[in-house]
Amino acid sequence: MMLQIGVVFGICLVGQTIAIFLPIAVPGSVISMVLLFLLLFFKVLKVDHIRKKADFLLQNMAFFFIPAGVGILANLAAIKGYILPLLAVVVLTTFITFGATAFTVQGVIAVQERVGARKGTRKDNRHE
Amino acid sequence: MNEVFASPFFGITLSIFAYEIGVLIARKTKLAIANPLLIAIIICIAVIELAHIPLESYNAGGDLIAVFLGPATAVIAISIYNQLSRLKKYFIPILMGTLVGSIASVGSAYFLCKLFGLDDILTKSMVVKSVSTPFALAISKNIGGIPAVSVAAVVITGILGAVCAPMLIKIFRVKNPIAAGVAIGTCSHAVGTSKAIMIGEVEGAMSGIALGLAGLLTVAITLVLKF
Repeated sequence: MMLQIGVVFGICLVGQTIAIFLPIAVPGSVISMVLLFLLLFFKVLKVDHIRKKADFLLQNMAFFFIPAGVGILANLAAIKGYILPLLAVVVLTTFITFGATAFTVQGVIAVQERVGARKGTRKDNRHE
Repeated sequence: MNEVFASPFFGITLSIFAYEIGVLIARKTKLAIANPLLIAIIICIAVIELAHIPLESYNAGGDLIAVFLGPATAVIAISIYNQLSRLKKYFIPILMGTLVGSIASVGSAYFLCKLFGLDDILTKSMVVKSVSTPFALAISKNIGGIPAVSVAAVVITGILGAVCAPMLIKIFRVKNPIAAGVAIGTCSHAVGTSKAIMIGEVEGAMSGIALGLAGLLTVAITLVLKF
């Protein structure tokens, strides 16, 4: 377990270091995610090597966001007087963004599968 | 007494118990609005406001908890790796979804802010609301928004996404777990992703991919649109 923590934290350290040197601002955590993915993809690491630690972090991920949420207190002064319109914008855009994304993904998958099926039948015809 | 609250153990203990109360209420009521994260934040804010504890004192422990966000986001890579065959097969739909979603997010935030009569600086601060804080902060500073407003909008959006994700899936009748995951990650970044993980591994993995892609695409969109 200790070694697993070391591996994951080590990857985060490298990710954050890379983030400092990148020309555009990409969060260190996102770079660390890409790094860990590459290490798994190229079989440098096995999922079993970090499974226990990962499960603990993933299952409790919401907990780690509590300080960010409480931190809103520090930003309240900045949005004072605009809270209602800002909340309305947040709620409406969240619905719009969710809907637009989900429909696009499902739509493109449907098109992809239709094209795939057509190619499939064409291939079958050739075999006949 | 203030020394007690300034100890890192105060913020950590308060957060853990607030979260456990949240989990308990969520389990008892089974209501979407009874989200453990939302309840925990409300309890923590109530305690430090009522007891007049400075936010810095809470943050002595809070900052230690927040450190784990990095590793927690990184290990989403395992879920993504487990979904490798789906990722390869559906990469185009995933990419198109995050692209259209990110444009919809920036565009709708822009027009709604204008509609509600918010000024230019507030509008610029709001267009980054769907991406995780480091992305949002960088873009907001770049285009001339107010970082504090952006952070507030990002956090509220994330919590809203986490609370509403199951409801949004039902409202929009999203049958495909890939579409649901990508939508959660695109509209509510890493906080929404923490909920997507609880819904299922496919949803969690897709939400993780989407939060990274949406961040990068939003950087690109704001550059192209020259806010």
